[in-house]
Amino acid sequence: MFEGFTLLGAGIAHFMTPEGLFNLAWASLLGVVIGALPGLTATMGVALLVTLTYKMPPDQAILCLMALYVGAIYGGSRSAILLAIPGTPASAATTLDGFPLARAGKAGMAMGIATTSSALGTLVGIAFLSLIAPLLAEFALRFGSYEFFWLALFGVLISGRLTAIDDPLKGYVAGILGLLVAMVGMEGLHAFQRFTFGISSLGGGVDLIPAMVGAFGFAEILGVMKDRVTPKLVTSDDRVLPRLSDLTRYWRTTIRSGIIGTIAGIIPGVGEDIGSWASYAAARRKSKEADQFGKGSVEGLVAAETGNSAVIPGAMIPTLTLALPGSASAAVLIAAMFIHGIRPGPMLMQENPQFLYQIVGILLLSTIAITIYGLSLTKLLVRVLLVPREKLMPVVYVLCVVGSFAITQRMFDVYVMVAFGLIGFVLRQMRYPMAPLVLGIILGDLLDVNLRRGLLISDGDVTPFFTRPISAVLFAVILITVLMSMSAINRGVANVFKRFSPNGAN
Amino acid sequence: MSDTTPEEQLVERRMNRADLITGIVFTLLGLAIAYWSWIMPRLEVRGIHPATVPGLVPGLLGLALALCGVVLAGRAVANSQGARFADFFSIFKEPEAGRFAVVVALALIYALVLVGLIPFWLATALFVFSFIFIFETWASSNPKPLPRAALWALVQAVIVAGLVTVVFEDGFLVRLP
Repeated sequence: MFEGFTLLGAGIAHFMTPEGLFNLAWASLLGVVIGALPGLTATMGVALLVTLTYKMPPDQAILCLMALYVGAIYGGSRSAILLAIPGTPASAATTLDGFPLARAGKAGMAMGIATTSSALGTLVGIAFLSLIAPLLAEFALRFGSYEFFWLALFGVLISGRLTAIDDPLKGYVAGILGLLVAMVGMEGLHAFQRFTFGISSLGGGVDLIPAMVGAFGFAEILGVMKDRVTPKLVTSDDRVLPRLSDLTRYWRTTIRSGIIGTIAGIIPGVGEDIGSWASYAAARRKSKEADQFGKGSVEGLVAAETGNSAVIPGAMIPTLTLALPGSASAAVLIAAMFIHGIRPGPMLMQENPQFLYQIVGILLLSTIAITIYGLSLTKLLVRVLLVPREKLMPVVYVLCVVGSFAITQRMFDVYVMVAFGLIGFVLRQMRYPMAPLVLGIILGDLLDVNLRRGLLISDGDVTPFFTRPISAVLFAVILITVLMSMSAINRGVANVFKRFSPNGAN
Repeated sequence: MSDTTPEEQLVERRMNRADLITGIVFTLLGLAIAYWSWIMPRLEVRGIHPATVPGLVPGLLGLALALCGVVLAGRAVANSQGARFADFFSIFKEPEAGRFAVVVALALIYALVLVGLIPFWLATALFVFSFIFIFETWASSNPKPLPRAALWALVQAVIVAGLVTVVFEDGFLVRLP
């Protein structure tokens, strides 16, 4: 326990250098701006920044990426409040109460509350990250090939299930497509080249970063430019700095939303948007002023912003300890860590224990940075929102092209970016979620190699996949997840519960 | 369904046809992948364990995709509620389709043709200029006068092209296409 505090102190102190603070300052500000601009998401920002920071030392590069991630998730609240358009999907629930508050002349207060709630949400998440991650890493040391196979499958399936609530089938399809993309290129067991069709550039497989820049950058540009309407800005000059009573009044909501957000973060591939919606829904159920939700409730705003920010530290828990991305942006972070020679997974705490605490330190410092920016740079951020998309989007696209090219200096990666942009746009229009696709790309190799390695160890026998205790639990969870997403079975189970419950199921 | 507007109903009918088409596509794609995985070399010469053939996982995934495709298409047929392919194809006649086509055309010409053919800064300046100019005049609901739009687009194009080239090559030490 005491050692943990020492490591944490060292983790923070590590970045208290002029270089570290400078990188923190620009990356988190860039994050806030990217988040605030509709059409630029956290995932895309992180993916583009990977390509720019790959020549930096690993710790500084990860600092930039994490600071940008935290900044972008917070920045989305600005456009949610002032334009009624979430700057990133994470702030969709923020618009419900943030925009009505702005229209009622309380834009300043709403921005202030959003800032402090984001900061508090991140703090709750950080507490869980530093408590849970070391324990989980130790537990995960018992995992073998069988467990990692199920874990990879579970990650893709649960992400598909929860990011496509209305239609899990589309979530599963997205996940399978991602896994299939990962099958292209050299496989890990026998070094055989699959599905390359004689194209030598495909030998190394499809790189995640250009694919993400396409699916989250180019696809988003197409979506933004397609629509004809431009939103109107609503702002006011009231006090931004929240009063202490505003912060303490909803402490229950803050803690509850922080915990819900952290859990959403821990679940693989379930990101800030779900964390925000789930904590908003929970707050409305428990609130004394539930009728005010959606009409400018401060409590609703607190719930939404605490919920989405707590996801970030929560997502780092499986990301660091299992190499299972907790959100779409975390998937990019994993790719970035590999580029910089850091291998997330159960061995991370053995090989590089200070890294976890450096991440905690980065999150704490980024939280301080967004709080300062959020409460002081109101005018500047309003000006950012006034940049017309006609002028912004071509620049973003140029960055997508340069970013895809930068890492390996191959035009092939630019083609990958364009292809994933077009495919991603079409899939999105048909309501396929992107997160399972991304998870599939990053987990495909883990799933493939561990299934076949497990079969090799057991001499082709599949029973260990079902009889080893942890495997059996994971298999049961996967089975239940898939079965419950079939509406016929779900209805049947609900009927059984209804029969036994006096109040009826809900 | 009674509380939905006609527009929402049109979107649902479109989605239904889109699901039917994609369901069939996914089924065929899944089966093709399963077939390719089946005929993939089993590396017997190298004496690998038969349970670890490279085609195992892609084959299973191909079958899973085909299964999902069948369910998707079957569900679309069962819930068609009068959806016709005309509903689906009407999407290409909307003004949004025109804007979309322009963005795609500009983006593809820039990334696939111009970059690599002419110097990067020139390609970027051309792309940014045409993008801003087209969307502020032809594709705008509130078009700006032509000379003014052209001038400002040109200014921004030059600034962006110059900045990106300098910042990336000298700041981030990245080689440009």
